[in-house]
Amino acid sequence: MPADFSGLWARDYSRGDSVNQVLRDAYYELAKKNYNNGQAVPGPSQRDVSMLIPLARLVELITRTDQLAISQTKHEILVERKDDFAIMCTFFNGVAKPIENAFGKETCGWTGDRLVSVQDFMDGLRVVNQFDTSEDRQELRVITTAMSDTAPMPFTITHYYRRFERVPGRFECIETLSRKRVCGIGALTP
Amino acid sequence: MTVRTHHRLCLTTILVFVVATAPAAQSAETLIAATSDGTALNVTIPIFDPGIPDDPSAFRDLQVFPRIRRIEAKLMPFLLREILVESEQWGAVRVEADPDPAAELQLFGKIVRSDGDWLDLRIRAVDATGNIWFDKIFSGQASEESDKHTDDEGTPVFQAVYLDIAVELAAARDHIDESAVSKIKGTSLMLYASELSPTAFSGYLSQGDDGRVRLLRLPARDDPMLKRIEVIRNTEYLFTDTVDAKFREFNADLARTYKAWRELRRKFVDYNDWNVKFAQSRGGDFKRGSWEAIEHQYKAYKYDRVAAQEQDRLAIAFNTEVIATVNAMEARIAELDGWVERGHLEWRGLLEEIFELESGL
Repeated sequence: MPADFSGLWARDYSRGDSVNQVLRDAYYELAKKNYNNGQAVPGPSQRDVSMLIPLARLVELITRTDQLAISQTKHEILVERKDDFAIMCTFFNGVAKPIENAFGKETCGWTGDRLVSVQDFMDGLRVVNQFDTSEDRQELRVITTAMSDTAPMPFTITHYYRRFERVPGRFECIETLSRKRVCGIGALTP
Repeated sequence: MTVRTHHRLCLTTILVFVVATAPAAQSAETLIAATSDGTALNVTIPIFDPGIPDDPSAFRDLQVFPRIRRIEAKLMPFLLREILVESEQWGAVRVEADPDPAAELQLFGKIVRSDGDWLDLRIRAVDATGNIWFDKIFSGQASEESDKHTDDEGTPVFQAVYLDIAVELAAARDHIDESAVSKIKGTSLMLYASELSPTAFSGYLSQGDDGRVRLLRLPARDDPMLKRIEVIRNTEYLFTDTVDAKFREFNADLARTYKAWRELRRKFVDYNDWNVKFAQSRGGDFKRGSWEAIEHQYKAYKYDRVAAQEQDRLAIAFNTEVIATVNAMEARIAELDGWVERGHLEWRGLLEEIFELESGL
């Protein structure tokens, strides 16, 4: 794998985009495009706005998580997010294998050291997540883009995360099937 | 007493063999009468091929949980064994860790699909001569009856599948006459004997281009070498049965956890059905590109993925719970297998030496 993202990451709220700001910038871009096209009414069209806002809402929803837990092996990268499914990239002999169900498909790839996950949903909706780290691997950047052929433009926001280590708790827990979560003090054996 | 004779007596004493008088040629039927308990064939079931794809990235698509498949591959032969024993149509039915090249009748199994609700099991039945009785996939759904059982032991999960196999096996046996059964038994014994003492027994068998083994002739009923072989084989059976008993303990230990796993898998199947209905029922109601439509598209995919990932989590929980039992069982079986392998090497050396002394070769 070209890069290692494994670890726990906490959102760095001092950096990154705000959805409202990106949306305002998008309105400006749409208005500029309309102006260049010779439309008399200033600002973006009502239709463009009504089709862009759903993408913005989706991106806001799926980037809400404040923590990411990433595990990585030779065959798999798993990005676990609170209240959402984990983004998953699987590889066999270095080749990415798509994950597919009746409602969509996830495909991964690399652009240099950047991991790109493309999720295609029904009816032309697409979400792209791009991951890269700083050189010292202490900072993770996640660029999320939603796009659809119904919307006038893609909607992209960037968030930053800082690496952190989990402090060991007093209790050690294991998951079992018939007894559910079992916790105790010290190392546990099933 | 010469050194050579003394050596011979020592070997004979160590192995507790009966030394017999001069051999005479016998028919296959006569030999069987002398060496086995009639026409019931002994059945060997090696642990199944878990059917795990080489490509790990295919596990999720195919709903394969490798560690659980490996456990199922050990549990299922035991369940099949129970059904065959209950049918009272067979001799000893043994579950073994590895295939036995000298088995009278061997059932090779491969798990093609096992998702808690549905089982596809490929079974290939092959006798000692290499004749394939059948090679087919048996399928079935988990019986509702089995899910009503609250006890932890002996839950007849997929009982219909194992019954189908037993019926197919019995039908195949009905097509074979007693002379063929005698040949199978004779071939089995000669395969075992020639493996232990190739010098003495390799001339009794030949192998065709098709891989099938042909019994050319048989040693005399009271051939001393043959009697020694039988003593060794019976001793080995004792060890095999000890391994088999370990499989039974293993089955009892894991039954409760495996049942919980199966029930959860069935719930996931139900949940996935619900999700398909959810996606189909309201998808067309919303205006294309609206928030409701986009949210619906995202959620349909999300719910499916969350369910799949929850199954992964439960598979890990399953492993956590059973790993100690599995490790203990595998260590014990490895120990017993090691004992048998070491015994084989020693027996083989001793038998070759005795044959050399007796035949003057």
